[in-house]
Amino acid sequence: MAEGKNVFVITKRERRIRLVYSIFLSLYCSIVVFLIFITFLGSFKTKSDLVRNTLGFPREFTLDSYKTLIFEDNFLRIFLNSTILTVLSIAGIVFISSLTAYGLSRFKFKYADTLQTYFLLGLMFPIQLGILPIFIMMRKLNMINNLFGMVLLYSANMSFPVFIFSVFFRTLPYALYEAAKVDGAGEFTIYFRIMLPLSKPVIATIALLSTITVWNDFYLPLVFLTKDNLRTVTLGVYRYMSNFLANWHLIFSAASLSLIPIIILFGFFSRNIISGITSGSLKQ
Amino acid sequence: MRFIRKRPYILFILPGFILYTAFVIYPLFSAMSISLYEWTGIGPKKFVGLANFVTLFFNPRISEMFWNALKNNFFYVLAELGIIMPLQILLAYLIFLRIKGYRIFQTLIFLPCVISTAVIGFFIMIVFDPNFGILNSLLKSIGLGQFQSGWFGDPDLAFPLFIVVATWVGIGYGMMLFIANLKGIPEQIIEASIIDGAGGVQRFFRVILPQLWPSLTNIIVLDTIWGLTIFDIPFIIGGPQGGVNNSLDFMNIFFYRYAFGNSYGGETAMGFGASISVVLFGLVLIVSIIQIKFLRNIRVEY
Repeated sequence: MAEGKNVFVITKRERRIRLVYSIFLSLYCSIVVFLIFITFLGSFKTKSDLVRNTLGFPREFTLDSYKTLIFEDNFLRIFLNSTILTVLSIAGIVFISSLTAYGLSRFKFKYADTLQTYFLLGLMFPIQLGILPIFIMMRKLNMINNLFGMVLLYSANMSFPVFIFSVFFRTLPYALYEAAKVDGAGEFTIYFRIMLPLSKPVIATIALLSTITVWNDFYLPLVFLTKDNLRTVTLGVYRYMSNFLANWHLIFSAASLSLIPIIILFGFFSRNIISGITSGSLKQ
Repeated sequence: MRFIRKRPYILFILPGFILYTAFVIYPLFSAMSISLYEWTGIGPKKFVGLANFVTLFFNPRISEMFWNALKNNFFYVLAELGIIMPLQILLAYLIFLRIKGYRIFQTLIFLPCVISTAVIGFFIMIVFDPNFGILNSLLKSIGLGQFQSGWFGDPDLAFPLFIVVATWVGIGYGMMLFIANLKGIPEQIIEASIIDGAGGVQRFFRVILPQLWPSLTNIIVLDTIWGLTIFDIPFIIGGPQGGVNNSLDFMNIFFYRYAFGNSYGGETAMGFGASISVVLFGLVLIVSIIQIKFLRNIRVEY
């Protein structure tokens, strides 16, 4: 449907009903805005201010809870853990899944279709179902409490990115590949020099979605990162919550730190995030 | 070497294939073999056949927990399909109709989907905490103090409240899929319905809804699988014990308690834990098999 064009004829009564929906949805949507707002606001309050005055504006702006977070609770390290984990995982996911998808979609061979379906199975079976054997394997590999081990796990969960990359690689003209071949370029040269640069938009989408998944992930860090100095930001927030009476003020600033990167990404790229998520599941 | 040079795709696929098989596919089957042993996770394994499953189904104390968790999963799936999904369709349709403010609504309804579950848990706490929460203090300040409650601390309220929260968190995802589907409906179909003079409600049920079947089947499967494997939010609200009186206990939390917690006389019980995850795997497998057709359908376009 053409953007901006509304094909529906609206009666007066229908217009009124729509207005009621709009008003209702405005109220509904204000919940999330309100919650994020008081989280940020609360992070600048003193502890006693926060207890007595949870919703109002701070009596005095203070960075106390951030200072405690950083200087006493080692939160810079925690923030860095999440950052390292996210960046390395994106690199791993993009590298391994684009390579796999390229092999699956560029070349014609007997089991290509079967393999393509095989790589989709991960969409059906969430990682929790096999977490126990994964835990045992990781322990054997000495990768419990090891950020690199986590990167390996996030990269292994490649069903969705492989699918998205495969769809994309199939849209690239075969002539491009043949021309490079005639010029004597090797397979990997073609892949790294020609195909990957062409897939920047897909890489961006995968990177964006993976950033959100990895940064926000709770389950894998809970199982695999038990050491205090390896905690991620989400685990940091969770730990404060399990003893929230003592940490009431610190949770607000920890939650803020967890939210900021996501809010920034979402603010700039919400359209790309949404189209990335919907692109995979509607190809029928 | 010549074999590979003739088949360059092997080099492209092999690393991913090994990684994916080792960490995604193999564990699903390995869990089955672990479930046949009595094993704390360290030290020697003792083969016990199906004893773990007998315990799971028939031990009075444990089977009660098992059925309770499964029941909660079942009702959660039911709520997803019976409450959340119809709401998602309604919202998607409203946004598709471009009601006033639809762009902002779309973004803000989706926003909770990209917020980490730990922060969602924090939001739940600042709203529902019995002592510090916004809700109780609000009720008190407007003179409705008698309606104050323990909220998630009240075993009768915890589950319905969880459904409300889960709706708020998850509604945006399916809504987006439905919107994308709606945008793909050919214009002629909609125009034809206008010429026929169908009213708004009629148009929705007669013309729009049948066109949504493709994404409907996808979302039913995804919702069912997510519903069976839900973990984060009930775990963060109710802890590893599954909330007050196990009101927020789900299969995956029950599993976690035994596999990684110390519910088994102070030790982890990996063999027994594996038997729980095998049952869960079986349930997901049944759902997937029913949807084999769906899996075939999402094969990459040529």
